[in-house]
Amino acid sequence: MVRAFPYLLRPHVFASRNRARRRQRGDLSRGLLFGGIGVVVCAVLFRASAWLAGQLTGYAELGDYLLRLGLSWLFLTFLSFLAFSGVVTALSTFFLSDDLRLLVAAPVATRRLFHARFVRTVVQSSWMVVIFLVPVLMGVGWARCATPAYYLTAVLTVVPFAIIPVAAGTAATLVLVNTFPARRARDLLMLMGLLFAASLVILLRFIRPEQLMKVESLPDLTDFFATLQSPITPLLPSFWAGETIFATLRGGRDLLHAGALWTTALASIVILRAASERWYFSGYSRSQEAPKARFTRFRTLDVVARLLPLSPVRRQLLVKDLKIFLRDVSQWSQLLLLLALVLLYLYNFRVLDVQRIPYMSEFLKNVYAFVNLGMAGFVMATIAVRFVFPAVSIEGHAFWIIRTAPISLRDFLWSKFWTGFVPVFVLTEFLTIVANEFLGVEPFLKVIAAIAIVFMSFALVGMATGLGARYPRFGADVSQAAGSYGGVTFMLQAVLFIIVMIILLGWPSSLYLVHQVRAIPLTVGQEIWMATCFATAAGLSVTLWIRSMRAGVQALQRMGE
Amino acid sequence: MLRVSPMISIQDLVKQYGKFTAVDGVSLDVSPGEIHGFLGPNGAGKTTTLRMIAGLLKPTSGRVLVNGHDVATEPEAAKASLGFIPDRPFIYEKLTAGEFLRFHGGLYGLGEDGLDGRAREMLELFDLGRWENELVESFSHGMKQRLVMSAAFLHRPRAVVVDEPMVGLDPRGARLIKDVFRTMSARGVAILMSTHTLEVAQEMCDRISIILKGRIIARGTVPEIRAMGDGHDDHLTSVFLKLTGGSGLQEIDEII
Repeated sequence: MVRAFPYLLRPHVFASRNRARRRQRGDLSRGLLFGGIGVVVCAVLFRASAWLAGQLTGYAELGDYLLRLGLSWLFLTFLSFLAFSGVVTALSTFFLSDDLRLLVAAPVATRRLFHARFVRTVVQSSWMVVIFLVPVLMGVGWARCATPAYYLTAVLTVVPFAIIPVAAGTAATLVLVNTFPARRARDLLMLMGLLFAASLVILLRFIRPEQLMKVESLPDLTDFFATLQSPITPLLPSFWAGETIFATLRGGRDLLHAGALWTTALASIVILRAASERWYFSGYSRSQEAPKARFTRFRTLDVVARLLPLSPVRRQLLVKDLKIFLRDVSQWSQLLLLLALVLLYLYNFRVLDVQRIPYMSEFLKNVYAFVNLGMAGFVMATIAVRFVFPAVSIEGHAFWIIRTAPISLRDFLWSKFWTGFVPVFVLTEFLTIVANEFLGVEPFLKVIAAIAIVFMSFALVGMATGLGARYPRFGADVSQAAGSYGGVTFMLQAVLFIIVMIILLGWPSSLYLVHQVRAIPLTVGQEIWMATCFATAAGLSVTLWIRSMRAGVQALQRMGE
Repeated sequence: MLRVSPMISIQDLVKQYGKFTAVDGVSLDVSPGEIHGFLGPNGAGKTTTLRMIAGLLKPTSGRVLVNGHDVATEPEAAKASLGFIPDRPFIYEKLTAGEFLRFHGGLYGLGEDGLDGRAREMLELFDLGRWENELVESFSHGMKQRLVMSAAFLHRPRAVVVDEPMVGLDPRGARLIKDVFRTMSARGVAILMSTHTLEVAQEMCDRISIILKGRIIARGTVPEIRAMGDGHDDHLTSVFLKLTGGSGLQEIDEII
């Protein structure tokens, strides 16, 4: 008996069920944490969209027009996201997933396999969009006192709306995999995605949205709306989705656009299925071919490492970590995004016009110096969670090599610490010094910030390394490790630490500056207080650094129990 | 007569996972130059025992000595004398074979001088010479297995612990490994080898221990083990099945 295609989805259903049944340490707190964040985000989205839709009601025709436009733009944004997500997910679900070896070898018709994989691709690519859309559409409906028909239409609209771009993305993957080997295609896609994101960030920054805040630079209203329309818009599923929902919101029905959505979705499935029956196996077969990978040998790295005053073990660990990092496109390509963020960060301080309010400029400059310190701390925490926290996890299944080698796990973890510390410290110290220079803050604050970064680097990199060793995810890739329970725990601790540091440094610094401006000498008591605060900040950093590393080493040592 | 102290010595080793006892009081000695076979059905406790010797698992109780060093109290000294070859050869995919061996040598304290030459020598020995500058990710299972073996012998260990050495190897590779093991054993290296391939154990091992449900149930040279059977079979298979309760195989015919 040939079972229907949902049978092929059973392993995923069972796996999810088993995961839910067999809770692991930290699952509950992770669930509560992520669930709590999710509920808060959904509530905020619901309230914000309800408020906005409610406000627009007051503008009659114009309000309706803006709401209609807003819906169309919302769906347009998601359309591009879904298409790109579809390409990446399809690459994994159709070509790189491990269970395909079992399924392709089994007597399963390509058509059934396609249906099962396509359902999985649609769900995996679109769940985030759906979670975002649900509170937004509910908020709009609530503000407009919509009938149940609105909510039903919303569901019936979102389904085909998600299918169409994901089908387009899957088709693109099919073409891509039949042109390049799948593993190379994945590298290309990651790079494309990151370049796309980085250029978008830079572009957004360089069009200077802060100019919009100035009334004199706002364009004429009609011109503004004209730019939002384009001849191609009505041909896109995002427009159809927006129109369908908007019509029900006003108590009517837009069967034309709803029909367009459903017929296009079904047609894209049929066409994609036919293409899949014709080209899937050849693409899958190509993806199995082990390409003789091109790679860089990094001979200079070996030469430079030999010059460093390190023990052979630490040198070999450093060289190994750097080579693996630089050869793994999914890791180093993140640096592009980081570069974009750094440029953006410095550019923000460059364009910051603190002189606009003359009597406030001195005060503002010094406040910004602490904002800068906080920002540098967050940048540091972000880099640490992405690059330092997974340092133990990336040893992966090859960790037995370290554990059976005659080196202490302490040496191993400290090597990981220093490998992460140097780049993180250099980058954030550079950012802080340059940004403070752009701002022209007081020399005293410049020194305080520069010293604070030294201590914060030790503490944050130590925390990331230590927690990475306590909560390793050996089977996971880098981003999964960073987003795991340990990664989230690190981010929470890091944020708390940064806040405490800013308080401990901000209060005595402001005291000093106020006395400087007013030319009043500090009392002995105040000086003691200042010293205590600075010493507490330094002590806290060092304690966190050492304790985290010790806990990490102990966790590694306990691993074999 | 001068008594040679064992290179690998395990004493009353126990490993418990909650209420389940995976290894239950195993004691075993492997002398220099001896190839000791460690046999047993799946789930008998072989890999757990080997992982405790390699320092990957902490015993619940008992001791493991390698070259006279206690793995629990002097892990670095014990590990420096040991080469470990796991059953699944997971290695860094983004390193080349040469880079991996140099890294491995560094971990075992081999100096830069001569490391390149030694790495090349091992690659040639394990028939991987022309793959020195290729990424491990492009290797087959058998090639990875041979690379792990070349790493295990790179630092000239005094003892080697190997889990299922023949899995995934072609006949040529298997022959090569047997020759290497014999040569190493002739040079005084103690080898403790777990295997399911009884022919390999019969052909290569000086002594054999059979483990079942975490306990050693038989130990001796190949003729001694064979004598534990009914004595009619030249092969170890029937003895192994008799000792480990594999008589259910007779029912296969009826089922099929």
